[in-house]
Amino acid sequence: MSRLEANLSHLASCDPALAAAIRRSGGGVLGIAEARNGMPTATESGRAVHSAYDPWREGTAWAEAQAATWKPGETAVVFGVGLLYHLEALRRCLPKEARVAVVVPDVCVLHDAFNARPLDEWVRQVEWLWGDCEQMAARLVRFGTPLRFFSYAPAARLHAEAYAQVELAIRTQLARETGGQLHVAVVGPIYGGSLPIARYTASALEQLGHRVTMVDHSPHSTSYEAMANLKDARSRMTMQSRFADLLSQLTLARLAEDPPDLVLALAQAPLTLPILQHFRRKKFLTAMWFVENHRHLTYWQQVAGGYDYWFIIQKGTCEEALRRAGAPHVTYLPLAADPSIHRPIELSESEHAEFGADVSFVGAGYANRRAILPRLVDAEWTFKLWGNEWEGATDLAGVLQRQGARIDTETCVKVFNATRINLNLHSFTGDGLDPQGDFVNPRTFELAACAAFQFVDQRSLLPEVFASEEIAAFRHQDDLPAHIRAWLHEPEARTAMAQAARRRVLNEHTYVHRMRSLLAGIGVAQPDRVGAVLRGEREAGYLSARSAFNTELGSLLSQFPARQRVELKDVAARIRARGPGQTLKREELLLLMLDEYRMESRDLV
Amino acid sequence: MSRALVIQLARLGDLVQSLPAIMALKARGTRCTIDVLCAVPLASLPALFPGVSQVIAWDGSRWRAWAARWASAPETTMSEIETYLRDLVLLPYDRAYNLNQHPRAVLTASLLAERVIGPGETSPLSQTHPPWAAYLRSVAVRRDENRVHLADAFCGLCGVSPLGTAPLIPPPAVDLPHDLAPIGRDEGPWVAVAVGAGETARCISPAVWREWISCFLRESPTGQVVLVGSGSECESARTIQDGLSSILLNRVWDATGRTDLAQLVAILSRCRWMVGADTGPLHLAAAVGARVMGFYFARARVHETGPYGQGHWVWQAEPTRKFEVRGSRFSEEEKRATCERRTSNMEPWWPIAESVELLLTDSCATIPKGWSLWRSGVDHWGAYFTEAGELSAPGSQRERVWRMLQSAESLMELMP
Repeated sequence: MSRLEANLSHLASCDPALAAAIRRSGGGVLGIAEARNGMPTATESGRAVHSAYDPWREGTAWAEAQAATWKPGETAVVFGVGLLYHLEALRRCLPKEARVAVVVPDVCVLHDAFNARPLDEWVRQVEWLWGDCEQMAARLVRFGTPLRFFSYAPAARLHAEAYAQVELAIRTQLARETGGQLHVAVVGPIYGGSLPIARYTASALEQLGHRVTMVDHSPHSTSYEAMANLKDARSRMTMQSRFADLLSQLTLARLAEDPPDLVLALAQAPLTLPILQHFRRKKFLTAMWFVENHRHLTYWQQVAGGYDYWFIIQKGTCEEALRRAGAPHVTYLPLAADPSIHRPIELSESEHAEFGADVSFVGAGYANRRAILPRLVDAEWTFKLWGNEWEGATDLAGVLQRQGARIDTETCVKVFNATRINLNLHSFTGDGLDPQGDFVNPRTFELAACAAFQFVDQRSLLPEVFASEEIAAFRHQDDLPAHIRAWLHEPEARTAMAQAARRRVLNEHTYVHRMRSLLAGIGVAQPDRVGAVLRGEREAGYLSARSAFNTELGSLLSQFPARQRVELKDVAARIRARGPGQTLKREELLLLMLDEYRMESRDLV
Repeated sequence: MSRALVIQLARLGDLVQSLPAIMALKARGTRCTIDVLCAVPLASLPALFPGVSQVIAWDGSRWRAWAARWASAPETTMSEIETYLRDLVLLPYDRAYNLNQHPRAVLTASLLAERVIGPGETSPLSQTHPPWAAYLRSVAVRRDENRVHLADAFCGLCGVSPLGTAPLIPPPAVDLPHDLAPIGRDEGPWVAVAVGAGETARCISPAVWREWISCFLRESPTGQVVLVGSGSECESARTIQDGLSSILLNRVWDATGRTDLAQLVAILSRCRWMVGADTGPLHLAAAVGARVMGFYFARARVHETGPYGQGHWVWQAEPTRKFEVRGSRFSEEEKRATCERRTSNMEPWWPIAESVELLLTDSCATIPKGWSLWRSGVDHWGAYFTEAGELSAPGSQRERVWRMLQSAESLMELMP
């Protein structure tokens, strides 16, 4: 019997379909050579998949490092196939009862592995996941256990895209099922575009049933702006930097009063690297939703390594740049809308008169807008311009509303609802459209949520969030007048498109969707912390059921409502509340002792 | 034979200060075995204490890990803790003498013994404190004119009177690192210097130590200095040595970060003197029979935590409020200058020449302004300190406190 057949015979007893698929496949993905120690090693496109000296030792070292992070009850999920040295070693490192699964995007690689080296019984002690990414993800989710992902990078890079898809599918599937109550601290900026997003985020988390502590720095904006008036640039920067440091300390002090499970900062949140490092030392999870253009705001370079999780609205170079700057986990998470704020509304006649127009634009006076918008003035349509920072734009003075005052959200929604064509022009510091325009701004989602027709400049990531039947986009500013003219004559098509866009937002692009996805992503990466809470494993009912053999503990836990999240501090508080004269049982003494040590290690300041 | 456990979860200094209580307990109940529970890093020390049968090492890091894990695996965690406690203490003790007020110590006492004496004796959650515990709390809060030494208050917590003699830890038979082995063998006097302190506020700066060591080695041509301290104090020791003249350096021995506790005891027992702030090694030196000279400042008070035994010296920095009370003694300018010098930890404030003179001649001609000098003694009320020049032991305040608290203890015992 050939080596391949001998190996397949082990596999066939647990997964005959996979064994047959391997037999059918041709292999030939990996180049096989002999390592210095005589064992087979592999390369792919000239790059080493395993050590050229001692692949077994290398695999064992990798496995030992991974096994140290595995916790009982978790399924170890391995990304990267290669010649399976690392998988075999991990199987040996973990206890027999530990479930180990490997994701196989291409059975041809397995063919090479099964052909190259002898494999034995351990093959039966591994779950082999193969086929469609969605199916592999669904199978992993069905395990119903916390998943701990281990990536053997030299082999995983061969199918990086497939692994990313599996991860995304797991996150999406878990996001639909998550429950539990987390305590999330949302840290907002002092001012700016991410400030309302911080509020929408907090609201979405609350709608999902989580407890939110909003650390709102906007009350300090007046002081910050006062410093902006300092004429000397050095003094101004020093003062503002010190002020940001102070607010960072203030955030720490706030969170120390009621420590959260997760600190979620929005772009521009005043959290300095030393404070973030302090959070990490105290084992607090931190995440940043960077809802800004990474090319314009570059301070992320200083804090990339400080946050545990980064969520970004751009892909490609942004992801790579953050990783290079030290960000440990980077995930794409586009913006969204809050349909309780951005929604269709009935307007009075006077409101229609005030806010209505054939064409409107709401936004600040960036250079590209100053260059493009004058083309829309003095045309056959009415045009209104809303927003601030339009000083010096004399050619737009006739259409500028409220003398360029800042427009609040409520007014924005009225303008969106009252306008036939809402122009959505992403900001850019050049004259025309941003040639690198990738991310989709919040305005796109907000207009869509209002069922307001919009005409947006094309962005490379727009097709991922809206279809061409849902949102109209233009590629060249020169085409803008002609398009507007055409759309003004298509009222029914405008309405149909706007309604379709709203449906898409409600189905996929609300902040609730985003927060579900964000938490599921962190939950997958932190199966024993955030993941456990989201799976409901910190609820009294679950804990009580798991404490069946410890009657004293079970009895203590049964005093809480089954769906209530219960932490050590809650149980300890219940015991202490019984008063000083009470005789305590042994379990109660132990719980109080644990709580004393918990308080010591959670002392943030 | 009954079994008793003395619980001391605080730092080195407190553990050493517990020795008089342990000895008094042993003297009272000769048929009682006494074990000591302390933090893991200090566990090798009580094994050297006379009268101690066994040392129970309390591992706080394991408890912290369990606390972090409890919510994800409550039952497994509780079961692991039970196994840990069973391995630690198979059968509950008849009595636990708890010397700490912290809830962790109170809970430990309740977990490991049938009966608790000291904080937590009525109930682990009780807000009512036994008389001696209440007294210690009031001293800590009010910082008033207390004359009862902490070690004697520990005796009070245990319900025993001080023995009237200083305890002595016999030198252990341990090997020192090869290059430190000659310590104490050549001509001296050998003086150990504790370069650091547990609290930053109680640390004496390397510049001051450099000045003191230089002065001592100049005045004592055969004198030798041994720098002692933990690994975190190596840097201070290096800074001290960096500023010393090369002629003096060959009489300075750096043992910081290079000894375990038993080796530290061995080194201290080979030194005639120990000099330092109010630190654990200072008290340890007194307990191994070295003479001690302490510099007490910041929150350190000679009467509360001075070195226990006969003939030790303490330089006590006068608290700022004393300047206000005794305004006639100093001019405003002098007060301000003294305060400024203290704040900046500058050398002129420290009684360097005076303390070296004291160490070499056992007398001191002048006491610099801002300091008072005290000499230790021990009688049947425990440790006491008399100001230089005074002869009799100040017993009345200690006696009054002891009588008051003993009668309160009796009352407590009568209560249902």
